[in-house]
Amino acid sequence: MLKFPKDLAIAATFAAAAILGQPIGQAVAADPEAGAKVYNKCKACHAVGEGAKNRVGPHLNGVFGRTAGSLEDYKYSKAMREAGEEGLVWDDATLGEYLAGPRAIIKGTKMAFAGLKKEEDVANLLAWLRRESGGADAAADEEPQAEEAEPAAAPEQPDAKPQAEDSQAASEAYTPPADAAPHGTYNLGRRATEEEVAAWNIDIRPDGKGLPPGRGTVSAGETIYTEQCASCHGVFGEGAGRWPVLAGGFGTLDDQRPVKTVGSYWPYLSTVYDYVRRAMPFGDARSLSDDDVYAVTAFLLYLNDVVTDEDFELSHENFTQYRLPNEPNFKADDRASEAHYADRSEPCMTECKPGPVTVEMRAAVLDVTPDAENGEQMGSGAVD
Amino acid sequence: MTRKSGHTANWAPSRRAFLTGAAGAALTTSAATALPGAARAAGDPAITEIKDWNRYLGEGVDAAPYGAPSPFEAHVVRRDVPWLTADPVSSVNFTPLHELDGIITPNGLCFERHHAGVATIDPAEHRLMINGLVDTPLVFTMQDLQRFPRENRLYFLECAANTGMEWRGAQLNGCQFTHGMVHCVVYTGVPLKLLLDEAGLKASGTWLLAEGADAAAMTRSIPLEKALDDCLVAFKMNGEALRPEQGYPLRLVVPGWEGNMWVKWLRRLEIGDAPYAQREETSKYTDLLDDGTARRHTFVMDVKSVITSPSPQAPVTHGKGPLVITGLAWSGNGRISRVDVSLDGGRNWQTARLDGPSLSKALHRFYLDIDWDGSELLLQSRAIDEAGYVQPSKDALRAARGVNSIYHNNGIQTWQVRADGVVENVEVS
Repeated sequence: MLKFPKDLAIAATFAAAAILGQPIGQAVAADPEAGAKVYNKCKACHAVGEGAKNRVGPHLNGVFGRTAGSLEDYKYSKAMREAGEEGLVWDDATLGEYLAGPRAIIKGTKMAFAGLKKEEDVANLLAWLRRESGGADAAADEEPQAEEAEPAAAPEQPDAKPQAEDSQAASEAYTPPADAAPHGTYNLGRRATEEEVAAWNIDIRPDGKGLPPGRGTVSAGETIYTEQCASCHGVFGEGAGRWPVLAGGFGTLDDQRPVKTVGSYWPYLSTVYDYVRRAMPFGDARSLSDDDVYAVTAFLLYLNDVVTDEDFELSHENFTQYRLPNEPNFKADDRASEAHYADRSEPCMTECKPGPVTVEMRAAVLDVTPDAENGEQMGSGAVD
Repeated sequence: MTRKSGHTANWAPSRRAFLTGAAGAALTTSAATALPGAARAAGDPAITEIKDWNRYLGEGVDAAPYGAPSPFEAHVVRRDVPWLTADPVSSVNFTPLHELDGIITPNGLCFERHHAGVATIDPAEHRLMINGLVDTPLVFTMQDLQRFPRENRLYFLECAANTGMEWRGAQLNGCQFTHGMVHCVVYTGVPLKLLLDEAGLKASGTWLLAEGADAAAMTRSIPLEKALDDCLVAFKMNGEALRPEQGYPLRLVVPGWEGNMWVKWLRRLEIGDAPYAQREETSKYTDLLDDGTARRHTFVMDVKSVITSPSPQAPVTHGKGPLVITGLAWSGNGRISRVDVSLDGGRNWQTARLDGPSLSKALHRFYLDIDWDGSELLLQSRAIDEAGYVQPSKDALRAARGVNSIYHNNGIQTWQVRADGVVENVEVS
C-alpha cells in the first residue's frame, strides 16, 4: 500500500498545517534558544552542525529542502524511502507535521519517537534546526528578530525540571535558612533542607532503600519503552549498533563472546530502577515519572523472562521480591591470590625464556588503528 | 615497503608517514641536519640562511591571551577510536603518551571519558551536598569549599578499561590507543575527610556514594575507609581550574583507584551502611572471568608500565647509534620501586633509570639509554611497585582470567622495532 500517492497525498497529509493558516514552524514567534532545549530529546540519535555524522538516525545538516529518505549513507526504513520517492521534501510544514507525530505521518518509520505534543516545541525546534542545519534555504528562512528575541539564558540546572516551579528562579534569589546551631570545625556550608536532600537523593539500593512509592505494569512499560527506549536498545532489548543490549544472553557468560544484559549479567534489579530514573532516556534524563520507571523496569523483567505476565505490576511493595538470576555469580576482588601476584619474589633477569622469542601476533594484521586510511574497520572490545 | 599511498592526516611523524617516506617532509626542522654531501659542504641552510623569524618581528604579548602549543605541535592531540563506542557523547579519547615526557600531563591532553557528554556548569550555581548518615546534612557553595584548608597532590588517573582492547591480542598500533587512558596532574583541593567531618559522621557509616551533576548523574560507591584516607575534593588541576571535560568546577580524587570512581562535576556525597550497587559498579566495571563468574569492587589499579618511545606512533627515524628508550610506570599500591626493560621480548632484562620525582600513586618516568646496533628489538617494560607486586605478562593474566574481563589489563606490552625503525604492536612467545 502506498502511503504517499504522489503530490496529491502530500498535499492532503499536510492539509492540517494549512488549516492553521500558516506553516507550523511560523505559527508562533519561534525561539531557537528554546528549540535548542527541545533538541535534547533528539540528540541521542541525530547529529547536526559541522562534521555531523549519521548516528541511530540520519544527520540533519541540510535537512530543509532535502528529499525524505535521500541520504545515501544512511539506511532508512522502506516507508521513508518511498515517501521521498513520492515527492516528500522536508520544509517547515512537512517537518513540523512529522515531528508532531512521526508514525501518524510515515507509517513504518524507524524513528521510535512519540512526537512533540506542544506546537510551541515544534516551532522552536524548527527555528533552531533552521539555524543549525545550514543548507540551501536555511539562511533565507532565518527570522532576524529571533536572535534578539531573548538573550542566551544562563545554563539551566539539569535538575530544574522535576522540581517545583519556584526552584527555577535564579539561585541568587534563594536565601538559605539560618542555621540554628553551628556545625563541624569551620562552620562552613549550611544545613541542607529536607526538600533539597529529597531532590537529589534518588539512589536505590538492592535492599530497596530509596524506592519511591509507585507502580507500573509490563504493558504500560512496553508503551514507554517502545516510544523512548527502543530506538537505541531495540524493540526486544537486542540493542541497535553499539548501544547496550538489555535482554537475553542467558548462558553466554563463559562463551567466547559473552552477552551481558540485565537478565544475563546484572546482579540487582534496584540498579535498573536507579539508573533509568537518573540517566534515561539518554539525553532527556529525569523526564520519566516514578510510575513510568516502575513500568519500564517491569517491562525489562518481562523482556528477560523474569516475569511472564503482561499484566504484572511492579511496585515499591513487591519490588524486592524479584531477584536477577546472575546475582550469586559476583564475588569479591581476589586478584592478589592470582599466581603472578601471590608470588612476590624477585623476577627473573636473564635467560627467562628457553630460546629466542618469536612474534606470534601483529596489530597491523587487524589494522583497526584509527587514521586516515581505515575509517570503516571495526576492532573488538569495549571500554565499558 | 610502501603499502598505501595517501596523505598522513596530521600525525607527524606517523608510522605511515614514515613508511611512505613522507617523514622527512614533515620534519623540516631536522631534515637539514640529515642532508649528506653537497648540502653539508655548503653548510646547513638552517644556519647559513637568515630565517624569517630571525629577521621579522613576531607577535606581540597579547596575541594569545591563553597560550597554545606551537603550530608545529598540532599533531599532539587526544584521539578517539570511533568504532569503540556507540556515540561520541558517551565515549572516550586517549592521551598522546608517545609525544609526552616527564610525568605531568598537560591539561588539554588528559584523556576524556564521559557518560553523557561534558556538563557545562556555572560555578555560581554549583552545590556540593553531603547527606545520609551524618549529624548535619550540608550544602556547600564553591566559595565555601575554597575556605577549607587545601592540599596539592600529584596523582595518576587511569581508566579501568585502559588496555581493555588488547585482551584478545595485539590490536591497536600506538601506545596512545593501547595505554592512553591515563594521565597525571597536580590536584588542588580539600581533603574529603575535612568535609565529612564538617557534617559529622555517624558511627554506622561504612560506604560513601559520590554523584555527579551531569546528565548521567554518574555515581560510584566508595568504602568510607578510603574516603577518609587520601581522597580529595579538587577544584584545580595543574594550577588552573579543572577543565570542563575533567569535571569543572569540582571532581573527586580517589588516588590509585579506577578512574571511573573519580566522579566529575561532583555534586553529592551520601554516607550509608552498604554499597549502592550503581550501574557503574555492577553491569560495568566488574571483571568477567573465564568461568562466567565476575569480580566486583576491583578498585585498585595494578602495577603497570609501557614504553612510550619508541612505539608505533613514535618510530625510530635516526638510524642506529644512541637511542633513548623511555616510558611510564605507575601503581595504585604506591610508589614504583623499579622498572626493568627487555630488548629481546622478555628473555633478558636490564634495570631502567627512574628520573624525576617518585611519588605515591603518580606516574614515574623511566629511561634506558642504549647504543642501538640497528637490529630488530622486541621492547618490553616490567614495573615493580613498593608493595612488591611485579607487572605480569599478558599470558599470565589470560591464564588467570580469560579474555573477557575488559578491565584491569596491566600486562607487559611488546613493541617490535624493525631494522628500518618502524615499530609495531605485537605479541610474542
